[in-house]
Amino acid sequence: MTTLLIADHNNTSLADATSRALTAALQLGGDVHVLVAGANDRAAADAAAKLDGVKKVLLADDPALDHQLAEPIAALVVSLAGDYDAIVAPATGNGKNILPRVAALLDVAQVSEITKVISSDTFERPIYAGNAIAEVRSTDRKTVLTVRGSAFAPAPQGAATAPIEPVAAVAGDYRSFFVGEALASSDRPELTSAKVIVSGGRALGSAAKFNEVILPLADRLGAAVGASRAAVDAGYAPNDDQVGQTGKIVAPDLYIALGISGAIQHLAGMKNSKIIVAVNKDEDAPIFQVADYGIVGDLFQVVPEIEKALN
Amino acid sequence: MKILVPVKLVIDSNAKARVKPDQSGVDLANVKLSINPFDEISVEEAVRLKEAGKVSEVVAVTIGVAKAQDALRAALAIGADRGILIQTDEMVEPLAIAKLLAKVAEAEQPGVVILGKQAIDDDSNQTGQMLGALLGWPQATFASKVDLSAEAVEVTREVDGGHQTLKLTLPAIVTTDLRLNEPRYPSLPNIMKAKKKPIETKAPADYGVDVTPRLKLLKVGEPPARSAGIKVKTAGELVEKLKSAGAL
Amino acid sequence: MPDYTAPLDDMTFLLQDVFDVEKTFAVLPGYEEVSAELAASVLEEAGRFCAGVLRPINQSGDEEGSRLDNGVVHTPKGFKEAYKAFVDGGWSGLSSPTEYGGQGLPRTVQILVDEMLSASNLSFGLFPGLSRGAAEAIEAHASQALKDQYLPKMVAGAWTGAMGLTEGTAGSDLSLVKATAKPRDDGSYTVTGSKIFISSGDHDMAENVIHLVLARLPDAPPGTKGISLFLCPKYLVNDDGSLGARNAVNVGSLEHKMGIHAQPTCVMNYDDCQGWLVGEANRGLNAMFTMMNAERLFVGVQGLGLADASYQTAANYAKERKQGRAPGAKESGMIIAHPDVRKMLLTMLSFTEAARALTVFAALEMDKETAHPDPEVRKRAAGLVALLTPVIKAGFTDFGFEATVLGQQVLGGHGYIREWGQEQFVRDARIAMIYEGTNGIQAQDLVVRKLGLDGGAPVRTFLAMVTETIAEGRQVAAARDTAAALDEALEALESVTTRLTTGTNADPLEQNAAATDYLRMFALVTFGWLWLRMTLVVVAKGDAATPHEKRKIEIARFFSSRILPQSLSLGSQICSGSAPLMAIASEAF
Repeated sequence: MTTLLIADHNNTSLADATSRALTAALQLGGDVHVLVAGANDRAAADAAAKLDGVKKVLLADDPALDHQLAEPIAALVVSLAGDYDAIVAPATGNGKNILPRVAALLDVAQVSEITKVISSDTFERPIYAGNAIAEVRSTDRKTVLTVRGSAFAPAPQGAATAPIEPVAAVAGDYRSFFVGEALASSDRPELTSAKVIVSGGRALGSAAKFNEVILPLADRLGAAVGASRAAVDAGYAPNDDQVGQTGKIVAPDLYIALGISGAIQHLAGMKNSKIIVAVNKDEDAPIFQVADYGIVGDLFQVVPEIEKALN
Repeated sequence: MKILVPVKLVIDSNAKARVKPDQSGVDLANVKLSINPFDEISVEEAVRLKEAGKVSEVVAVTIGVAKAQDALRAALAIGADRGILIQTDEMVEPLAIAKLLAKVAEAEQPGVVILGKQAIDDDSNQTGQMLGALLGWPQATFASKVDLSAEAVEVTREVDGGHQTLKLTLPAIVTTDLRLNEPRYPSLPNIMKAKKKPIETKAPADYGVDVTPRLKLLKVGEPPARSAGIKVKTAGELVEKLKSAGAL
Repeated sequence: MPDYTAPLDDMTFLLQDVFDVEKTFAVLPGYEEVSAELAASVLEEAGRFCAGVLRPINQSGDEEGSRLDNGVVHTPKGFKEAYKAFVDGGWSGLSSPTEYGGQGLPRTVQILVDEMLSASNLSFGLFPGLSRGAAEAIEAHASQALKDQYLPKMVAGAWTGAMGLTEGTAGSDLSLVKATAKPRDDGSYTVTGSKIFISSGDHDMAENVIHLVLARLPDAPPGTKGISLFLCPKYLVNDDGSLGARNAVNVGSLEHKMGIHAQPTCVMNYDDCQGWLVGEANRGLNAMFTMMNAERLFVGVQGLGLADASYQTAANYAKERKQGRAPGAKESGMIIAHPDVRKMLLTMLSFTEAARALTVFAALEMDKETAHPDPEVRKRAAGLVALLTPVIKAGFTDFGFEATVLGQQVLGGHGYIREWGQEQFVRDARIAMIYEGTNGIQAQDLVVRKLGLDGGAPVRTFLAMVTETIAEGRQVAAARDTAAALDEALEALESVTTRLTTGTNADPLEQNAAATDYLRMFALVTFGWLWLRMTLVVVAKGDAATPHEKRKIEIARFFSSRILPQSLSLGSQICSGSAPLMAIASEAF
């Protein structure tokens, strides 16, 4: 079998999710070709060609394909689809936008956000916000999948470089037009919808220290900032940032509690977070009972070390 | 201009989904069901466009068992004008839903179809895009702002790392994201009026659509239990663990 | 801030399965089209509103409180916006007549919304509650001109209502009212006097406040037969309905209270303000009494609502609080594993679910009383409502308060601090035992007036219903224990009732001495009756019963084995007569 992986990229580099989706695509068992569609996107195609396991890269370089608009990209994928048994995309904003359009044009079902490849036609995917895991088998002649990046390791760079072959965009009467974009805005995500939250407690000692320690790490992670009731009461953080029974109830993918002991009212506000990290001096602090990863130590030392390790 | 709003009845966002012991699915008996939150945002947006005088009629449509019309009633209580229930006891997959909706759209001729970006039960995030493909209409998914004029709709979309603005010429597909609006609490008079608004009941066969599933649901299991927490010694080790857990 | 979840499952079970209200509504003119499904939709959205809009400002409202600034009352942050949302949503006119712009829904639906209002934010709920009471009095007694002038705005919630009854020296005994009213040339009156404890007396949420004030006309006879009712608006209303000059309806001060801090309880000064007579001269108390049953049911439901609010937090806490080792357990676990914690939660739960059932029963009887075409049905309903009103008002608020204390206790120290909101429920619940006629007054009303009403017909009707349910219960295996316990309690109640009503004993103080215990005993038997009824309904539903419903059979068993027997000891307490209470001289206290 042969699989077509639709790369997510910004014309100059590949999104990390692409190499993770490649891992899933390779698990299907056949050859994997990568489609890099965009405008002036040669650099992204070069990066794709270097990934281990890629047999061929298809490069579509056309102004009509800029900004990854769903209509022209879907038309392009459909024009190539005849040669492929499976079409895969990372479950990124672009992948989720484009691939169902492809599936419908091919009259096949899509399996969204797979987290495990059981065989070339059978997959696991989370449903009900991850409260259940469905195992589904595709009975269509082609398999169309999006891949949840966090469930697959990124494919490494390979020794060889795959050949890059140009493909042409499909002309059409597309009716969606790019107007503008505002990317990487420095606006901090909103607490209740953030994927990552960095939260500080009374151990920060002052509003100045709170800002000095919490904000850079939050910036580094693109995280929202939270605070315990004690930190809010002490005036280190505004009331809006309070996480807990009397504040906001949050469930991010990653919750980092710094200098928070874990009073029951705080736990009530964050215990459904997917992964909880706690840094606290007191090794008996209740926060460690819910933390997946804990570091016993002085947060003023540990936090800069975390930032360093991230870089 | 008419707006078509597909809605779905799903497990209430505050209810806990429990896997059936025989792993055949999620137990929905005795679980509170509500209109899908993203669909509620779609209805709210459509009703606001009507209140702004840009739209003449808001039509809600749902596909599912008889009880699915509760989602239509919810839409009617927010301010949709009438409902269409395509009644079936089959499990209908997004592709078949999109095919049915395409037929409804051909009959109703809406200027815009506004859908929730995904239903919080199967989390597929497909129907709107598929509908766009089947109708050959442009799509703007994950909308956080919708600006409708007579000929076009300008949509700000939530994309990875920020926002993108697209202009679509009508007719077009829009799918809604969380920040598009905050749905109103339906007023008591509207809740009562909703009971009297018309709901037309149809069957998939009326549209000549084959809804046979293409996917086979083999089993539904519990997610892996939360493993006991561990203490790590260094920041480096922590970052490594977080990376391998996919959290970074 | 603890979350609130409206008990929709339970309400639906009561409306559909236990009381089949749709069938009753179908024969009540005006309510024919109210289906159980419509009621469920209304309750669901009301529940969302209460949970999403009113509960979030409950704790902050308590901490901030209403305040008086230069004669103007300011409600806490968020109340004005919440009230606007409430009014815009059309909730204020839920059960009001459609001719004045209301939605014309039955009281049975209204009272369940009242429960949600009380549970989510009692201080807030009192505003629409009092407005409705005032509007009902105006509708029942005022001239058509006054109705046309005031009711549409009050029903819409644009204007709110307040009741000016109590004075410094006239509380439980309103015959002592001193406020006066003098006729003017234009047919209106000049009202003068000072009133205390006036809930919603003034505020910044609506453009006008309509006070109904009890006062005496110059030639009025003394006592209760010389009191008239006057409508005194904060702003005078022009003929075209627009607001005119400020009337001399002034806030003297705000009462400093134990609870309901967000609710502005005012000292009101009617400083020669202009007012209009509502109903006949000297018949003011009668005008107030026509709406009293409804008001007292509302107050009773406040006890229920707060008990449920406290229960929800306590139950969630007990399931998540890991502390200590339950007997027999190998390691520390959640406190819900402890029988003693469960007993507290079950005591609360067995009260709230029985009380909610009685609420629906009584409200449905009230709807029949007002709207049923058959005069016999209306009469029977009126008798039951009259009998049960003091039981509900005092019973629900006594047991409700006790439940909030238990809910506080479940949380230990966390129940005593503010964070979890449990201590607020305790404080807020306390007032409902006092206002709208203290619970002592309710007990006297039950024993002295209601038992003898209509030659004792209502109490006989009621006891016969209980007897009938027991007979049914004896035929059903799952209900047998509950039926047997109820039978024993009923026998004791019947015996004490006979003792108190036939006057065979020579103790003239016995009724008064027995009243409070008797009301509690009556309430326990009533709850037992409803538990048995619910058990029978659940059994009849078989596999169609939901888990929420199925567990009721066990809660009924808990109630009949752990709570209902208290009625037996109350019975023997009562039989000790007044002697133990009167033995020592007043000076000896």
